Amino acid sequence: MNNVGLHDAEVVTPAEVHRAARAFAAALAETPQFTAFKQADEALSNDTEAQQALSRLQAKAKSLRALLMLNAVSDAERAELDGLRDAYLTRATVRASAAAEGELTGLCQQAARIMSAATGMDYAATCGASCCG
Amino acid sequence: MNETVAFPPALQEATDRLIHALLGSGSFLAYQGSLAQLESDSQARGLLERLSMLQVALRGKQGAGQINQADIEELRAVQSKVRVHPAIIEYAQSQQGAADVLREVNQEIRQVLGMDFAALARSNTC
Repeated sequence: MNNVGLHDAEVVTPAEVHRAARAFAAALAETPQFTAFKQADEALSNDTEAQQALSRLQAKAKSLRALLMLNAVSDAERAELDGLRDAYLTRATVRASAAAEGELTGLCQQAARIMSAATGMDYAATCGASCCG
Repeated sequence: MNETVAFPPALQEATDRLIHALLGSGSFLAYQGSLAQLESDSQARGLLERLSMLQVALRGKQGAGQINQADIEELRAVQSKVRVHPAIIEYAQSQQGAADVLREVNQEIRQVLGMDFAALARSNTC
């Protein structure tokens, strides 16, 4: 990180920092990766069969949650759960959405790495982001 | 996804401008100043190193069930000194200020994108 003295640097106002943040977001929104992600996400939202497959998968997983935690699911139930999962994950819109999200994630990770290296603070960790909820 | 993808020039330029704005903000200037102060303060660095060493040693002893009262008292004594050291306090406070600016930036980005940029940037960690 650069050591910039307090007295020999012109202080950037909070409004200018926020403006730069919005400009960064706008530039990210114009990338092919972001556009592709939005399109894939919309296609997935409009795919009623995929949404139904997801609902069936979630309902089955919920009904088996306690048994899954105890690792006590029968082979037949596990096969049914795996089948429902495959039915969802192999749909073209789901695969396209996952691929587009992966591309966008890669781009965001690169941008965050650049910012973290320049500022000396881990951007994602500082902002409290967690994929684990 | 961990692989490096082509970084669009327009996004690179916007990233550079955002970094420039962040580093020029009052909070980051204060953070950099206090970091330099901390790095040049041998007493403060010594305290932090001692604290870190004690914490590591205690974790090891904890696993083996060997912690005694003297260990705990030594840790508390060092923690007390760390908490009142001016250079360390200044550094911790300024770091928090810089972190607040980063969170504001992320919120601004989220409002434009409709998505949490930081969450996307971290989604490979699980």
